[in-house]
Amino acid sequence: MQSSAAGVDPHLDIDTYDPGADLMVLNLGPQHPSTHGVFRVKLYLDGEIIVKAVPYAGYLHRGVEKLCEELTFVQIIPVVDKNDYVSPMMNEQAIAMACEAMLGIEVPRRALYLRTLFAELQRLASHLLWLGTFGMDLGGALGGGASLFMYCFRERETILSLFEEVTGARFHYNTHTVGGNRHDITPKFSHDTKATIRVIEERIGEYVQIFSSNRIYRDRTQGVGVLDGDLAISLGITGPLARASGVDHDLRRDAPYHIYGELDVNVFTESAGDCFARTLVRLNEMRESIRIVREIIDSVPEGPILGIKPGKSPGHIKIDASQRYSCIESPRGELGTYVIGGGSNRGASAYRLKIRSPSLHAASCIPYVFPGHTVSDAIAILGTLDPIMGEVDR
Amino acid sequence: MTPMIHGLVWGLIIGTVLVTVAALSIWFERKFAARIQSRYGPTLVGPAGILQIVADALKMMQKEDIIPEKADPILFRLAPPCTVIFTLTTAAVIPFDENVLAADLDIGVLFLLAVGGLVVFPVWIAGWASNNKYALLGAMRAVAQGIAYEIPLVLSAMVPVVLAQSMRLSDIVSVQAQTHWFAFWPLGPGLIAFAIFFICSLAEANRIPFDIPEAESELVAGVTTEYAGMRFGLLQMAEYLHTLIASAVAAAIFFGGWDGPFAPGLHWMVLKTLVLFFMIFWIRWSLVRFRSDQLMALCWKYLLPLSLLLVMASALFVHYRAMET
Amino acid sequence: MGYFIDTARAMIVTMRNVFRRPTTVQYPTEDRVRPERYRTSFALVHDEEGDEACIACLACERICPSRIITVKPAGKRESPVTGKKRNYLEDLTLDMNACIFCELCVQVCPTDALIMLRELSKPTLSREGLFLSMERLYANEALAHSWGTGTRLMEMQDPKRGLPAPEPNQEVTPPGVDPIAEGAS
Repeated sequence: MQSSAAGVDPHLDIDTYDPGADLMVLNLGPQHPSTHGVFRVKLYLDGEIIVKAVPYAGYLHRGVEKLCEELTFVQIIPVVDKNDYVSPMMNEQAIAMACEAMLGIEVPRRALYLRTLFAELQRLASHLLWLGTFGMDLGGALGGGASLFMYCFRERETILSLFEEVTGARFHYNTHTVGGNRHDITPKFSHDTKATIRVIEERIGEYVQIFSSNRIYRDRTQGVGVLDGDLAISLGITGPLARASGVDHDLRRDAPYHIYGELDVNVFTESAGDCFARTLVRLNEMRESIRIVREIIDSVPEGPILGIKPGKSPGHIKIDASQRYSCIESPRGELGTYVIGGGSNRGASAYRLKIRSPSLHAASCIPYVFPGHTVSDAIAILGTLDPIMGEVDR
Repeated sequence: MTPMIHGLVWGLIIGTVLVTVAALSIWFERKFAARIQSRYGPTLVGPAGILQIVADALKMMQKEDIIPEKADPILFRLAPPCTVIFTLTTAAVIPFDENVLAADLDIGVLFLLAVGGLVVFPVWIAGWASNNKYALLGAMRAVAQGIAYEIPLVLSAMVPVVLAQSMRLSDIVSVQAQTHWFAFWPLGPGLIAFAIFFICSLAEANRIPFDIPEAESELVAGVTTEYAGMRFGLLQMAEYLHTLIASAVAAAIFFGGWDGPFAPGLHWMVLKTLVLFFMIFWIRWSLVRFRSDQLMALCWKYLLPLSLLLVMASALFVHYRAMET
Repeated sequence: MGYFIDTARAMIVTMRNVFRRPTTVQYPTEDRVRPERYRTSFALVHDEEGDEACIACLACERICPSRIITVKPAGKRESPVTGKKRNYLEDLTLDMNACIFCELCVQVCPTDALIMLRELSKPTLSREGLFLSMERLYANEALAHSWGTGTRLMEMQDPKRGLPAPEPNQEVTPPGVDPIAEGAS
């Protein structure tokens, strides 16, 4: 196994590799203002330096994958919404894509455009939330970080209002379904979206000014939490984390789905692998999402939004005993769904539905990256890993 | 009037006024922070939410007095009042006007810095006595930060002392009234000395960007984790008071105190103090915090040599000016 | 040093924001306008002829992922409006404690009887208050309705929408399409 930054094998028992050390055990416990959900990291501290870090996940386990064996494919989509609760449409999209591929359903062009549009807007909203919460981690709930947090959420609310116009819900939309989408965009959606992203584009410049181009911020994040590219690949880390460590991989460009194949998606990589690099990658992705939305917002073709007749019963979608893995590029990395059909309800439920969540792999790099840093750095690193506990625990 | 009675009476008046201003500043900070963050702040309680302070104080007073079982019983209870006492005591020597002064000590600046430096102790004791790892971490950071930033604070406060050739604060203000404010003359060094004094006061008062002892995002509530109710209220009050008094001192020794271009008096002192106080709020709501080792590096590597140089420069300046005249 | 300049730049941004209008909506004295399709609580409606629209087909009970709808059919009765015999509903309880607002029950309703509301209903002080009984659901009919009724949603999702009329052998039929009476479980 790879060794950590401090040169010790993180899986070795603490008493074995340093029995004489007088270490303090600190729980960055499940109740903490900045562990991004219920997440526990047990830190062994030597003064303020972390010698070993052990993450414990599972506080938010809700048995979603087990529910998938009882509920049918139509019913499971609103439940899976709650996995990655920051960008819910991604979860719906992943399952819908897997089922469509297994059934051979052709999704209409309009629905593909809508899905891509919503995905990019979700990416923008998710990164805005990340930026705001990261500011809070660094600057405190009573301080400059809180100002950045309120700004990011103010902008995010405008995006959520766009979704509210289309689907009726600000969060947890249940708008993607097997075969296409359930809600169509309104005529003024294009106009509202363009106005919204214009405002957000200007505000991103402001965030850079208050935050990421700030000397204090740079001191906090440069050289902190360096994640080696090879370690990232061996742990299965994808998304902005891996791209910041030099791994040039983006599903939108390398394995295009929906209409990404027709777009020119710029993939931003940095080689430093530290927190600052991850910030830069995410900021650039925000700008790229804005560019993509602007490119396709006016060329959404006319047509239906669902490729199959909408069903009136839960057993509407039946899949036989075949297997399929399909994945999308969520704001945190590769979000995949592995479906084995032929389950209960005469094939209307999955036999097994495994969700490959990117945040779980991101959180797994903690034992390797934390040692050698101080507690303040640990918070900064955890912020940039952007784990969403709903996804990690399912 | 004997100095003792003069000191008692004025001390009471100044103390009350300062505590009231600190309490009002809590309201102002909440409104200002809210406007920075695109929201309104307190609006419901009283006109423009001004009675929110009263509501908060009453709320804190009626809270259950929770003391952890394994916390040190005496030290835990002793720490919060001590912070307020030490902070308020330093206000005794600040010249608010020519005659509005509780104690016109001839070692005024020394008294200020010595008693002000004592504030580190109750914070440390609070963290240690809580029997909580987060509080302990916060306390250790507070001690390191407090002790480190004392030195540039003292040295930069020496610059006006050297320029005025007296430690008596009323003398420093009178010299400024007769010549120029020390922040602007000698130009350059004076402003830098003020900047260093300002930064060190922020660090002593644990304000952002130097608030790692009570960094909520890292240490839950740092030093104040185990404190509830009015004890917590006292610790917060001490922080606001410390900031207010630091801005008053900076206004007095760098910006001329009660001196003004026209109609010198108490109002100028108040204005300058409030302007500096406002700047401290503004900085708080705009910046992220330093990491503790970066904070130490800033102090030892930059502020300390710079302040030493400034003291020497001001001494040379006075020597050569004295030789000229 | 660089710290001062960056501090000043950050302070300019925050001060600039002080002069923008705050985005807070002072609820409940003010309220924001909800869009047409906004979906919150539920209501049972009467049809255009004034008869109860619900035919107790149990489609909503079957589709609900959270299993919060309980339907008790009342059997066939003569309708006071049309005079014909039709199914009626005896009781329908909807447990809002566990609703995930997925809109599936609205989508599958064949008669547009169960709809969602656009207007927020008043909060309640007890958990029992969140159990919407039939009386409360019919009382909610008076509040503003959301745009999305069963028929409208099905029309929006119709795969033939916006296409030219298809040839007879060009039906887009998915595997396993079922009428409502099939009763898949």
